[in-house]
Amino acid sequence: MRLILQYKCAVAGLGILLLLIGISIYTVIAIPYSEATYLWRAGEGIWLECPRNAMPSWINIFLPKKLPETIILDTKRGSVGATKVIIPFGERASKLRIELEFNYPYDDFPSEINLFYTANYSRSSPHITIYWIKPGGKEMRLKELTLKKSGAYYISNDEKIAQKLHDYIYQKFGEEPNYAVSPEIGLFAREDSSILRVETTSPLKGRYKMLIEGTIFERNVDVDVKLIIYGKVYGVAGTDHLRRDLSIALLWGTPIALSFGVVASVTIAMIQMIIAAISAWYSNKIDFIIQKVTEVNMILPFLPMLIMLSVFYSFNIWMLLLVVIALSIFGSGVKTYRAVFLQIKEFPYVEAAKAYGAGSLRIIFLYLIPKVLPTIIPSLVLSVSDFVFLEAAMALLGLGDPIAPTWGKVIDDAYSAGALYKGYFYWVLEPSFLLILTALGFALLGFSLDKIFNPRLKEI
Amino acid sequence: MSGAFLEVKDLYMYYRTTMGSLKAVDGVSFSLDRGETLALIGESGCGKSSLAKCLIRLLPRNVEVFRGHIYLDGEDLMEMDEDQFRRTIQWQRISMVAQAALNSLNPVIRVGEQVAEPLIVHKGISKEEALKKARETFSLVGIPDAFVDRYPFELSGGMRQRAIIAMALIMNPEIIILDEPTSALDVLTQANIMNLLKKIKAESSISFILITHDVGLSSELADKVAVMYGGQIVELNDAEGFYSSPLHPYSKKLMASVPTLRMDRTPEYIPGSPISLINPPEGCRFADRCQSKMPLCSKDPPLVHLGEGRFVKCWIYAK
Amino acid sequence: MRRELYRFLKYSIKRGVSLLIVVVIAVYITILIANMGGYVDNIIKSEVRFRIGMQVNQNPAYKGLTPREKGELIEKLYQKEIKRLGLDTPFILRSYQYMVQALTLELGRALYLTSDTGSRSVKNIILERLPATILLFTTTNLILFFISLFGGLYASRKYESKFDKLIVGLSPLSSIPGWFYGIFMILIFASILHILPYGGLVDVPPPKDPVSYALSVLKHMVLPILSWLVGYAFIQTYVRRTFFLMFSSEDYVEMARAKGLPPRMIERRYILRPTLPPIITDFALTLISSWMGAIITERVFNWPGIGTLFYMAANLFDSPVIIGEVVIYAYLLAITVFVLDIVYAIVDPRIRLGVT
Repeated sequence: MRLILQYKCAVAGLGILLLLIGISIYTVIAIPYSEATYLWRAGEGIWLECPRNAMPSWINIFLPKKLPETIILDTKRGSVGATKVIIPFGERASKLRIELEFNYPYDDFPSEINLFYTANYSRSSPHITIYWIKPGGKEMRLKELTLKKSGAYYISNDEKIAQKLHDYIYQKFGEEPNYAVSPEIGLFAREDSSILRVETTSPLKGRYKMLIEGTIFERNVDVDVKLIIYGKVYGVAGTDHLRRDLSIALLWGTPIALSFGVVASVTIAMIQMIIAAISAWYSNKIDFIIQKVTEVNMILPFLPMLIMLSVFYSFNIWMLLLVVIALSIFGSGVKTYRAVFLQIKEFPYVEAAKAYGAGSLRIIFLYLIPKVLPTIIPSLVLSVSDFVFLEAAMALLGLGDPIAPTWGKVIDDAYSAGALYKGYFYWVLEPSFLLILTALGFALLGFSLDKIFNPRLKEI
Repeated sequence: MSGAFLEVKDLYMYYRTTMGSLKAVDGVSFSLDRGETLALIGESGCGKSSLAKCLIRLLPRNVEVFRGHIYLDGEDLMEMDEDQFRRTIQWQRISMVAQAALNSLNPVIRVGEQVAEPLIVHKGISKEEALKKARETFSLVGIPDAFVDRYPFELSGGMRQRAIIAMALIMNPEIIILDEPTSALDVLTQANIMNLLKKIKAESSISFILITHDVGLSSELADKVAVMYGGQIVELNDAEGFYSSPLHPYSKKLMASVPTLRMDRTPEYIPGSPISLINPPEGCRFADRCQSKMPLCSKDPPLVHLGEGRFVKCWIYAK
Repeated sequence: MRRELYRFLKYSIKRGVSLLIVVVIAVYITILIANMGGYVDNIIKSEVRFRIGMQVNQNPAYKGLTPREKGELIEKLYQKEIKRLGLDTPFILRSYQYMVQALTLELGRALYLTSDTGSRSVKNIILERLPATILLFTTTNLILFFISLFGGLYASRKYESKFDKLIVGLSPLSSIPGWFYGIFMILIFASILHILPYGGLVDVPPPKDPVSYALSVLKHMVLPILSWLVGYAFIQTYVRRTFFLMFSSEDYVEMARAKGLPPRMIERRYILRPTLPPIITDFALTLISSWMGAIITERVFNWPGIGTLFYMAANLFDSPVIIGEVVIYAYLLAITVFVLDIVYAIVDPRIRLGVT
């Protein structure tokens, strides 16, 4: 066994696997599965404070132009820079003044700007007017709004603002900008000639302020706002099109992938061996039946069957595992093992066991199988990655477990959203990297084990 | 140097293994006349097969040392390069009969074609002509004509051996090496094959080199006997002399281990096991198993010549 | 020779029949499994309803009926027909009939998908897309076969050379399936370098003349084939090389060398030819698994073959097409196995002359 550690490849492979197992253990403890699936299902507003399709934060280390992080100013949370004043006047009314101040030091524009609010009035809706003040004092009136009990103002989607900005630029510079000036660009751009070209426009760094002035028509009504200026980077792994933090899927994908692959591989190999041993030992009828079943299984198309079953009877990931195992146990391994068992069955020590009256089952499990066991370990290890990729493939076909956060699902989401086409490479690269790492770990280990357990290959 | 037809002088062949250099042929010399049959006997692993293969230059993949002289009719074969050796010597002047195991014949090519191959390759004869010759040779060795079109697995063991002999004969070589030609056969077939070989020997001037561990069998054909031990020839004697009174202690043991028709004595066995060819001991290699061991045996015994090319490698005879 | 031909035919027929039986069983199992959720019944029922609907709408006698009356009439006729066909009886009794239909490729009509010619017949839909799959699939596998064969031969000849070590060293690349490399190929060559297309069969819009069309198809085949080469060429070459090494230490090879045959001839007749049988077996297994891998590859590259069809049908929940595809794949696999068995018999006389 110490022999394994002599091979550098094996050590590297084991190292990778230990790392992955470590990640799995950490993940399972730190984020319980139920919480993970809850988060991943991305229900109402869970991810609302995250940007869409953001790259991982550490990418800023390598970029000359720093991408923005998300800035959140929440009056309810009492964020720094958010001040709210309500001054009553008259019998029932109050004046509302909210100032949201922040510093914008980044080299690139935000991806989105949204304003969320709550107002706990009973009958009369408050009115507000929203102003935007750039560093240097330039003020712009954005919108007048009658508040509902809760709602949102999607500033970056506001066509009117976009038009206003466009017209403003044209007036100021006498030229049309060569791109559609969206609010998140226009509200942050440096107002010089660079604003005219999409290639040269860049944000004005400094202190920005959003000013909200309004009137509340009832007593004891509180209004809270949350301004989110969405960045372009987030977290360790970035986000996807549903704003979900990818690290959850990446982390949880690890134990899922590992357990799926290992359980499938080991179970199938073991059962195949037992079937083959039985087939070789109890010749004639049983052998014939098992042979025929193996042949039918070979013609029965594995993946199409799996797809058909997944579509008709939708599976969660563990049912999928079960079905994969069921469809594989009569596979070609049975034929190969059977050939080996047929040879071993003639060995003298087996005859000796028969002679002293050992029962068939005993011979199968204590003599035949242990002899073959070492030789199948390499292929067992190597086939783990096949099953990990099978799960990913099912996800890529849209048939995986719909709620489980797996690597395959992330790739499927990315692919369907045209990630490669739109340049969101990280979305595809991160789960791929983990898949490759897993495959590499098992491959290195498996090939080294192969050299150890099949010494005749060493001489060749 | 005598005027012998085949003279092997100081032949060495070592090959690399994971455990070191294996000295399969460790300083072998002997000579053979035209038409003479040499029996090369010894236990498994003594190097006799390797020696025979050296003559036809079938060297293992990991050969390390191959030097010495092999004079065939005065010409030193060791001086030839691979290509020349292949085109002029292999099969045309020296050929080989392998064991009758199914594996000695290519399983997917018809027997006749395999037998005819050397003719087509070396002599450039057309396929029809070559097959005709193959048929002739088949009748020579006693195989029905029709078998030319069969595949090896369709022939019985005895038939296969005959086919292999036919294959060795077809180019009319001057030397045929027979490597355990009958060990895979039953006794009756064995007898038939030996009769065939005797017939061929009588009707031609081919020199046979018969490699076998079956001492009794060798006596049917041998004119000369060479006993190999530990990669070296320890005794080279003429047949009559050897079978009646072997000289080397090892030879004596070998002869004593052959059961006789009238079992008036129990066959003996040789104690111990053959030495490793990777680290042969200093001095006489047989010393540890020898009943007549002397203190002198810790030094390598010389070749004691007994005239007419006969010799024995043992201190007992060194005076 | 005639003896041999006769035995060869006998062998072929035996294998053919045996495979046919296996296909029958496989299709039957498919039907059973599919109908555990009632899907096969539903196909038949909708087929019946469609037929009756057509009949009623085309029958002049019913022209004057209101839509509601027509609807009731159709429903009545439908129920009668259902009873007549025995569709209200337990499934087991009808299953063999479905199996016969499936075997003869009477696969019903699709729920949502149509063929390019507008046909709803599942058979037509599938058969229309089959050529694209066969084109890509056969080309890739042939290329892989010959690369691995000659590469393996070359590597075994130059044992322990740099080339040989390269093959051995790169074979772990096979632990990642070809379609996965496909994603990266697209990333590199299409997204970043923009020199090859993202996917599909031809450029859009397709070129008019045959030569440009063919070239366009070839251009689109480059990345899928390349991704499979990276994934499988090394391991297959490695396997062949190991076979050749094992077989080159056989006794008859040594005899061939003793016979003074030229090295090239030995390689061809004494190493390559006897090794072909296990190579063919290995190739058969490779082909079978590549039918599976092709499905995902087609999805990745949006290649309009039966694999993408499967993907679309699965996501549209178009059960007739799905079941039909499973049957077609069973046939494809059976044909593959059959063809390879025949080739095996041609190549190995021990098999065709009937010796165990």
